[in-house]
Amino acid sequence: MRLFLIGMSHKTAPLEMRERLQLLCGEGNQPLAELMRLAGVLEALYLATCNRVEILACTEDDEQAVEALKSFIYRQGNLSIAEMEKCLYVHQDLEAVRHLFRVTSSLDSMVMGEPQILGQMKEAYRMAVESRATGVLLNRISHHAFQVAKRVRTETGIAGNAVSVSYAAVELAKKIFGDLKKKSILLIGAGEMSELAARHLLRQGVGSIRIANRTYARAEAMAAEFQGIPVAFDRFPEVLPEVDIVIASTGAPGYILNAEMVSAALKRRNRLLFLIDIAVPRDIDPAAGEIDNVYLYNIDHLQDVVDANREGRRVEAMKAEEIIAEEVGAFERWFNALEVVPTIVALREKVEGIVKGELERSAAWLGKLDEEERKRVEILAASIVNKILHEPMTGLKEESRDKDAFPFVAAVRRLFRL
Amino acid sequence: MSGIVLFKTALAIYLVCAVVYAVSLWVRRVMTARVATWLMIVALVIHTLSFASRWFTTGVSPAIGLHDTLSFFAWVMAAAYLALQLKTKTRILGAFVSPLICLIMVVASVELGGTVGAPDILRGSLVTLHVMLSLTGEALFALASCAGLMYLIQDSLLKRKKAGSLIRLLPSLRDLDRINNICLSCGFPLLTLGVLAGSLWARIVWGSHWQWDPKQIWTLLAWGFYGFLLHQRLVVGWQGRKAALWSLIVFVVLVTLVIFRKLFFQTIHSFV
Repeated sequence: MRLFLIGMSHKTAPLEMRERLQLLCGEGNQPLAELMRLAGVLEALYLATCNRVEILACTEDDEQAVEALKSFIYRQGNLSIAEMEKCLYVHQDLEAVRHLFRVTSSLDSMVMGEPQILGQMKEAYRMAVESRATGVLLNRISHHAFQVAKRVRTETGIAGNAVSVSYAAVELAKKIFGDLKKKSILLIGAGEMSELAARHLLRQGVGSIRIANRTYARAEAMAAEFQGIPVAFDRFPEVLPEVDIVIASTGAPGYILNAEMVSAALKRRNRLLFLIDIAVPRDIDPAAGEIDNVYLYNIDHLQDVVDANREGRRVEAMKAEEIIAEEVGAFERWFNALEVVPTIVALREKVEGIVKGELERSAAWLGKLDEEERKRVEILAASIVNKILHEPMTGLKEESRDKDAFPFVAAVRRLFRL
Repeated sequence: MSGIVLFKTALAIYLVCAVVYAVSLWVRRVMTARVATWLMIVALVIHTLSFASRWFTTGVSPAIGLHDTLSFFAWVMAAAYLALQLKTKTRILGAFVSPLICLIMVVASVELGGTVGAPDILRGSLVTLHVMLSLTGEALFALASCAGLMYLIQDSLLKRKKAGSLIRLLPSLRDLDRINNICLSCGFPLLTLGVLAGSLWARIVWGSHWQWDPKQIWTLLAWGFYGFLLHQRLVVGWQGRKAALWSLIVFVVLVTLVIFRKLFFQTIHSFV
């Protein structure tokens, strides 16, 4: 029994190639049934996302199965073999397991640490289960992969930090205000960027939103969409004392919000103020950021946060790789035991059968002995057999603990004709 | 004797807890801080048992004498911190509180097992009330200052745009400010009641409420400072950085004064 993982991802294949494969394998055109019909394929899992197409298959122990899998993909892709070959990767056995663990833990994703892949993987597994395409091995691998993903998520900071400017703004806001409920935002300039940031903040439960824009109609339109309040552009300083977060993104050539306006707004109400200036050229006078309890971030500052977070994710990814190596080891032990345990059981059964048979054949002269003596002969036979079997069996168990037990198991099976 | 064993066990666990908190700051993972929190809970339980056993064996409220006073102070800090942590998401504040607790416990352990009995003058519920209320108030002020220190650190990180995981690890400004506020507004009335109980008792023992004793002056100073801080918060509307900064300054000044007082002044307000 062998394990193969064959697929292509954003790292190996251009978009057009993945597209083509996805379209053909995609919805409605369930490839699992066809996969299961391939010669030698025992279990199969099919995962397709916008960045990857992967097939994990448990096959009989021969080369034929791999070729069958490959040609299945070529057929689906409807492309020249040479073209496809460049983009495909094939992993075997433990490498396949490692790859699957990495994919599920989002280490192989385009945006490392993104959370969607785990859900997609679970969905793929569900489909496979529904199509009765999974068995002992793939069930175990899939569940193990989910556990690994969870471990990576909780034990490393890989998914912890924002890697987009608007998320970085939300994170900072949380570090200032704790929770964002009942906080109010003022958007100065209703551009695309500020809209995106506002959307993120609203998703965090921000209480109210005010929108000031040079074109009042646009402010009204956006206010309608966000259930906010439109504010006339030249009157935004008046609402400043009532807001906690300001997002400025106008096309104005100079500063539209200066330090005096900010200190005036704070004078009336003592509190914290988070100013986000995503306009280029800048909208908010940097001097405003010097004021106590005011935190001013411009687009470069936010980008710095994002960069630092990206770097942080890379460091965390190294920890994640260690976890995965550990888990692959754990899987290997289980996998080996999977082969070893039945072998040991079979060996014991066979030998015990022989002993029993021999005793029965000698029943005639054994019958002449009294009860006590007959017992002793039986015990003698059993203990000889146990002594002989002891070392091969413990050897087999030990072998399975760290090394590839296959050759050993195969030899035992052949020697004893199990 | 078992009281001493329990005390030492609690101290040992507090130390481990402080180390684990330090590690959590170093590796910047919340997971380790969670372990530290549980350690602190265990330490607190054992610490409480040590009090109970001491109360049983001596029959005197265990907050008299340097050892017991300090031990009680640390106990209140730990208990109040854990209670606050339930209310706010400020796990990592423990990294600042636990070393302080350890320090106090270590000093307390120097006098370990010293006085078991107390002079007759100190028997009575008024004294117990006075000592416990004052100590609880002061311990809450210490906690307020820890939160203040942390606020200043987080504030400066945010101001200087120090992008990195430390910002993420530290609690939000608002939570820290809230802790500072809660500690002040709970600590102040407790200290006030403690001082009142003390002055009533002083009237009975010394014949007057006020003695111009260094310790009394210090306490009045502390009461005045924190009263002022609370006033600024409630009436003037101090919030955030200023409140945090001042609660830290007041704390440092008071601690310095305590050390001075111990070194250079005699006090009639010392009994053991």
